[in-house]
Amino acid sequence: MKNLEEKIIQADSLESLEKVRVELFGKKGLLAAEFSKLKNIPGPEKKAFAEGLNKNKAALQTTFDDRYELLKQEEIEKMLKEEAIDVSLYGTLAQKGALHPVMETMDKIIDYFVALNFSVESGPMVEDDFHNFEALNLPKFHPARDMQDTFYFNDGGLLRTHTSPVQIRTMLETKPPIRMIAPGSVFRRDYDLTHTPMFHQVEGLVVDEKGKVSFANLKSILTDFLHTMFGDVDVRFRPSFFPFTEPSAEVDISCIFCEGKGCRVCSHTGWLEVLGCGIVDPNVFKAVGYEDVSGYAFGLGVERFAMLIHQIPDLRSLFEGDIRLLEQFR
Amino acid sequence: MIVVKSWLSEFIDLSGISDEKLYQTFNAIGLEVDSIKTYEIPEKVVVGKILSCEKHPDADKLNVCQVDVGTAKRQIVCGAANVVDAEYVAVAVVGAKLPGDFEIKFATLRGVDSEGMICASSELGLPNTGKGIMILDESIGALKVGQELGSYDKISDTIIELELTANRGDCLSIHGVARDLGVALDRELKHFEYTIENREKLGIARMVDIHTKGTVEADLCYTLSTIDDISVPYLIPLRLGMVGIEPGEDMENYLQYATHATGVILRAYDCKRLKANERLQLQVTSQERGIVTVSMEEKPLSIVGVNQTKESMTKENSRLLLFESSYIHPDLLVEAVAGKNYEKDDFYYKTSRGSEPALTLGMEYLSSLLEKRSIGRYYEGYLHVDSPWEPVNISVNFEEIAALIGQKIEGGKIATILKNLGFGIHSRGGEKIGVVVPRFRHDIKNIQDVAEEIVRIIGINNIDAKPLEIIEANRLNETMSHYVFRKALRQRAAATGLHENISYLFSDRNKLESYGFDTLQRELDLTNPIAEELNTLRSTILVNLLETVKRNVNYTAKSIGLFETGAVFDANREQKEVLSLIFSGHNTVESVVNSGKPEMINFAAFVQKLGAVIGSFELLECSYHNGLIHPYQSADIYCRGVKCGYVSKLHPVVQEDYGIYDTFIAELEMEALYPKHINAEVISKFQGVYKDLSVVIDKETPYHQVKEAIASLELDTLKKWYPVDIYEDETLGAQKSLTIRFFIQSMDKTLQEDDIESVMSQVMEKLEQACQATLR
Repeated sequence: MKNLEEKIIQADSLESLEKVRVELFGKKGLLAAEFSKLKNIPGPEKKAFAEGLNKNKAALQTTFDDRYELLKQEEIEKMLKEEAIDVSLYGTLAQKGALHPVMETMDKIIDYFVALNFSVESGPMVEDDFHNFEALNLPKFHPARDMQDTFYFNDGGLLRTHTSPVQIRTMLETKPPIRMIAPGSVFRRDYDLTHTPMFHQVEGLVVDEKGKVSFANLKSILTDFLHTMFGDVDVRFRPSFFPFTEPSAEVDISCIFCEGKGCRVCSHTGWLEVLGCGIVDPNVFKAVGYEDVSGYAFGLGVERFAMLIHQIPDLRSLFEGDIRLLEQFR
Repeated sequence: MIVVKSWLSEFIDLSGISDEKLYQTFNAIGLEVDSIKTYEIPEKVVVGKILSCEKHPDADKLNVCQVDVGTAKRQIVCGAANVVDAEYVAVAVVGAKLPGDFEIKFATLRGVDSEGMICASSELGLPNTGKGIMILDESIGALKVGQELGSYDKISDTIIELELTANRGDCLSIHGVARDLGVALDRELKHFEYTIENREKLGIARMVDIHTKGTVEADLCYTLSTIDDISVPYLIPLRLGMVGIEPGEDMENYLQYATHATGVILRAYDCKRLKANERLQLQVTSQERGIVTVSMEEKPLSIVGVNQTKESMTKENSRLLLFESSYIHPDLLVEAVAGKNYEKDDFYYKTSRGSEPALTLGMEYLSSLLEKRSIGRYYEGYLHVDSPWEPVNISVNFEEIAALIGQKIEGGKIATILKNLGFGIHSRGGEKIGVVVPRFRHDIKNIQDVAEEIVRIIGINNIDAKPLEIIEANRLNETMSHYVFRKALRQRAAATGLHENISYLFSDRNKLESYGFDTLQRELDLTNPIAEELNTLRSTILVNLLETVKRNVNYTAKSIGLFETGAVFDANREQKEVLSLIFSGHNTVESVVNSGKPEMINFAAFVQKLGAVIGSFELLECSYHNGLIHPYQSADIYCRGVKCGYVSKLHPVVQEDYGIYDTFIAELEMEALYPKHINAEVISKFQGVYKDLSVVIDKETPYHQVKEAIASLELDTLKKWYPVDIYEDETLGAQKSLTIRFFIQSMDKTLQEDDIESVMSQVMEKLEQACQATLR
């Protein structure tokens, strides 16, 4: 018996264990031989012999099973080990591209206003004087036109200098109430460290019955919007001037780089200018034939938002497609 | 607009107002502060008095001065030529540290000891006030020998640069800024004191005749003087320098100074040079609205608000001077001047935005300056030309103001604010007042302009934010759904490893032409492009993307995948949206997987990426033609049966031109990609089988033809088929072997061998007939 157990324990692979199994438990195995002795054993001793035999068999079976489990486990372990690789070699294989930080920022801005039940509107990039200037209370030769160096075409057309003509087109095509944004590229004839001939704007316009839309409403939505985009910043409104709004304001946020203490980015003022807004000028409504309405409008430069949010120092780099910059946004 | 704090103080009491408070107030009332700076004069720079000045024994250009610096007498060698005229000067004594880490030490110059330096303004960090050293006078304050120069307020002054909006011409002067500031700080303007002294008994009317012709819509005011000698106080070039005006000739400095101070446009005409007779004949003519010319004895002097002739300007020896102040409404002027080639002088910036209409203020300010420093005769009184001016009246309804601002502002407060801003209040009644807009605020025309003034003065920060109550509405439109789709498309493109690019809408016309792309008709092209290589609108994004790839190759990138969505324009300048993709160089990153030698991008790999972006499509023989397309590795892309663009290997010649790796390109029309509605097909519950078929066909027969032939059978059970092998060798000659895998499945039963055979034999028969195929 000890001898047999020893055999099982000494089997060092599933293969040799299988041999032991045949030798012990097989039809012509040792146990079968022992059992065959049973028929020769006289009656009174038979029961005791059989009991002893069964007990031994059960003990051997347990030993065998344990051994089998152990060897099986070892074999799986071995197999797994053979498949081992240095996973740290493969971490750099990922090849996803990235959305452009300007476009991604624009997406975020659109998402915000869509969530507040604004519609998204679009218009042509090649515009005419009426939609781009005249209807926006920028009559010909108005000094405010100097603010926007315009690209003209030989036939008198022009590249829109802001997304505001989309406001005009939307107002001419639909009736109030209006709640819209117009995202898109705009063009000004200017190229230096802080200007590119093309950039992106998002424009907003809300028009409703006379007396309904006020400056206080504008303050409310823009403050919340800027908190969504820049987090916990202070928001400051400064009176300003735009031909198409009256009263007008420029909106600043406390500098996100120095937390308002003053640094190079905010020209040591502690504030960053991010938005222009105001109550729609009555002349704009007159130009589109609206009467007895009130409204607000706002506009922002997407590049500026993207540069501030992602701390991108150079505006022009946004138009160079440098993969070293882009892949950081994967 | 640059203002100087001590200059502002001439018009408003700023005592107790810190620079910080000034900064906040200006910003709050809409005069944005661009910068604020205080001049800091180093210590040990003191007022000195030159006691004697002698030529240096050994150097022509040097003078040896004995200077009283208060505590002692110092010998100082000075190289400036104007030191011989100087009495009071700025002396940096030994130990003074001047800007640029320049410490004054005891020195010996060509054998003569020198203890200190007589300074020029720029050496102290002040603006350049003219050639040579600073020659001080009482205009900066009472001079006391030995006193630190930095202790003079008018030297250690604070300058504030304001970025004025285009409507605020009224703030293009020190007086104008003070006027606006006064309302915000609730301080009254100082009354400008001017007492007439030494006037000639002779009135100007005895000397000058004014003849007007046409309707003169400008205001003019004249005075006459004979000036024998004149000098300029130091404060004038100093302040002009501080506000960024280059000091010029003496009389010009006076005029610039008085104009910057008051905002009134001031000119001086040299009557002697004009060879005028005893009695001056002045003609003021307006033959065209907005253009008012002034001439004397038929000789042109100026166009009001635009320029002055060179011949009429004062020279140093001028004696008989006719001074003019003028005002013309900017809207009138700007419109009249537009499109004309008048030469415009520096004042045009002011006149086109609205100069100060209070003409006598300018005249009196100038006279008060001149009379202090000149010897001459001043004729009595002014001659005026007045325009027919109609004041702007606005009815200010308090309720309307409240609705615009979103907050109730008390009527009394509104009235006070407007009164302080110079509005005249001509009627009060119930919930409204009638006001007259002051003439210097030409920009205020309606109630919303008035609301802006009120918002400015009460401060936007004192208006409570209130969310707008809205009526919900369905605002989904085509632009929105296109935007949503484009966003998904862009995200998929990024997921396949492409980076999103933004390039300018512009392109190089020559380059587009040379590659055979559309270019705008000449009469539709840009008039004023910003650069040669951006001189037209792009008709493809691919050329821009190639430039971007090249830049990245220069930055040593080896695998460059980019995409861009955006507008392109055809010859008629019609705008359409496209999606463009480019991939250049290694198909995958360098890694242990490829032993650092990845394969180059190839047609199959690029098309796989394309599919991951736009979904399923078919490729047919390429029908597009341009210089970028490889004639034998290019295809039309069909989405749901509609041709929507092309895919191609970049033409090797272009690849070489750009010096880039193997490159693949695709450009698709967005319109064709927008998703259409899809209805699901029922899926079979029965088992299907795969069957391969190898046929021999002509080498030139494209797979597309085989595919079409099979499709034309319209077999219900033939669910899909696709090529899995292509084989050519010498024994096949002009033919090739093509293996196609078929998937056969029925909707209503498990297919039997017979059914399958039937399908395959029909296919074979069709291919024999349509493609001259034989079984391999």
